[in-house]
Amino acid sequence: MLWILFYSFGYKPDLYHSIATDRLGLAQYQLAASSTFFQTFMGTLRISITGTALCFLIGFPFAYWLSVRVPPSRRPIFLALILIPFWTNFLVRTIGWRILLAPAGIFAGVLHFLGLHSTALEILDTRGAVQLGVVYNYLPLMILPLYVALDRLDPGLREASKDLGAGRVRTLFKVTLPLVSPGIIAGLLLVFIPLSGDFITATVLGGAKGNMAGRMIYDQFLIAQNWALGSAMAVVLMLLIAVVVLFFGFLALTGRHIIRYRRRVELAITA
Amino acid sequence: MRDWVRSLLGMWAIAVFLFLFAPIVAIVVFSFNSGRSLEIWDGAGLSAYTSFLANGVVHSAIRTSIYAAIGSAVIATLFGSLAGIALARRPGKWQIIFVALLALVLVTPEIVSAIALLIWDVRLGESWSIFTNGLVRLWIGHSLFSTAVVTLIIRARMAGIDESLEEAAADLYAPPFRRFRQVTLPLMFPAVLAGLLLSFSLSLDDTIISTFVSVAGSTPWPVYVFSAVRSVLRPEIAAVSTVMFLVTLLAVAVVALVLRQSGSNARDITKTLTGEYGGKSRA
Repeated sequence: MLWILFYSFGYKPDLYHSIATDRLGLAQYQLAASSTFFQTFMGTLRISITGTALCFLIGFPFAYWLSVRVPPSRRPIFLALILIPFWTNFLVRTIGWRILLAPAGIFAGVLHFLGLHSTALEILDTRGAVQLGVVYNYLPLMILPLYVALDRLDPGLREASKDLGAGRVRTLFKVTLPLVSPGIIAGLLLVFIPLSGDFITATVLGGAKGNMAGRMIYDQFLIAQNWALGSAMAVVLMLLIAVVVLFFGFLALTGRHIIRYRRRVELAITA
Repeated sequence: MRDWVRSLLGMWAIAVFLFLFAPIVAIVVFSFNSGRSLEIWDGAGLSAYTSFLANGVVHSAIRTSIYAAIGSAVIATLFGSLAGIALARRPGKWQIIFVALLALVLVTPEIVSAIALLIWDVRLGESWSIFTNGLVRLWIGHSLFSTAVVTLIIRARMAGIDESLEEAAADLYAPPFRRFRQVTLPLMFPAVLAGLLLSFSLSLDDTIISTFVSVAGSTPWPVYVFSAVRSVLRPEIAAVSTVMFLVTLLAVAVVALVLRQSGSNARDITKTLTGEYGGKSRA
């Protein structure tokens, strides 16, 4: 991995070589931070943050349902049903969406039938399609750690909370969510990190409009053969991922402190 | 308990399953498309299946994929098992560094690992021609990530096995290797099997690393499909995928059966099959 760092300071000597490092400089970083690439980086962050959030919003009720409402004897069947799509080839599943989202495809037909959309569907090869695709592709990675965490949670704790007079919502926010937070963090990281570097979904569903950072790196390495610029982009991508993870980690920590502080004040007043 | 919340959750679950299976159903249905392009339905027929049986390029891509998957699964299971045992049984001062390294492998975006591997392969290939061999590159690239996964699975399993069993065997004068073969190995077998299966399927599924490190002549199946995305998607791809889908189903069923035979209950099977995530969330 250090080679990437080293190469990112190099340059592309001529048309026939992909890398040279006899002169080192920050030129590639300037290029990587220039407006077109910068826009793609920001677009990637937007897609990956929205995608992670959507995965959580879709995955949490599902994992909750699986671990609370489904009797334990039937859970393996449903878990297997989650794992089967996950074990089907990533690329092939994404191609499946191309069929579904085609301008005159099934999805368009359903929308037309419901009277929601009348003209040809133009979602393919846009950012919207990429967004949908990444949520689909990484959803199992969110559901599984959430399920593992929720499954370990003793149902007695929720009942105790209800016995003590807490409502449904209060039990969810004060008992369930704090106790499964390690699972939530694992799920968020498991989805966010690979999603940020993904270039397959963007290539299959994004066309020209739905570009992502992973695909820029791919293009620089395997098509433009400019390894120096590609390396610089990879370093920028990793830094951005680290910044986002640290930022949200910091946010979560301060949030927790504020809640604890307020709770202490409440207790002090009631006492 | 209010009923509407319950039914809402149930409906949500059905919606999630529909969402997860919609594209797979689409692929299976469109594999019977007799047209020339995958995305445009042109009557039902088996032409996609017959033409993939006759297509040599597709055959060699699948063969490469299977060789790569077997090789990297064996490498990953071997190294991962040994590393997992070492971590669980003889933790030393290097343990923290080693676990941090494993975590680093798991959280690195795959594309970054892929370009790092490409750079290494090209540099080493200048002096040792073995690194220009496509299959060797795939073995190294695929086993990198799966070794880390297998290590964590084995470590979790070994941590749950009481070491006194092995000590008892030693007290009964079993030499170290026999102790390993007759006591440790049977106990950790479900985890080894899970690791083997996971690394096999991870390798079969891998597109990102394969795209970067593969060389012409040994193109694995996902890379072949990926290049087809850029030119034209033929129904054969859906046909092969449908066959692979059925094989995957069969493999999962077989593993579940083997685990049940070896006396695990449903909960353990689930845990083993999802072992990766338990391991990952603990990392």
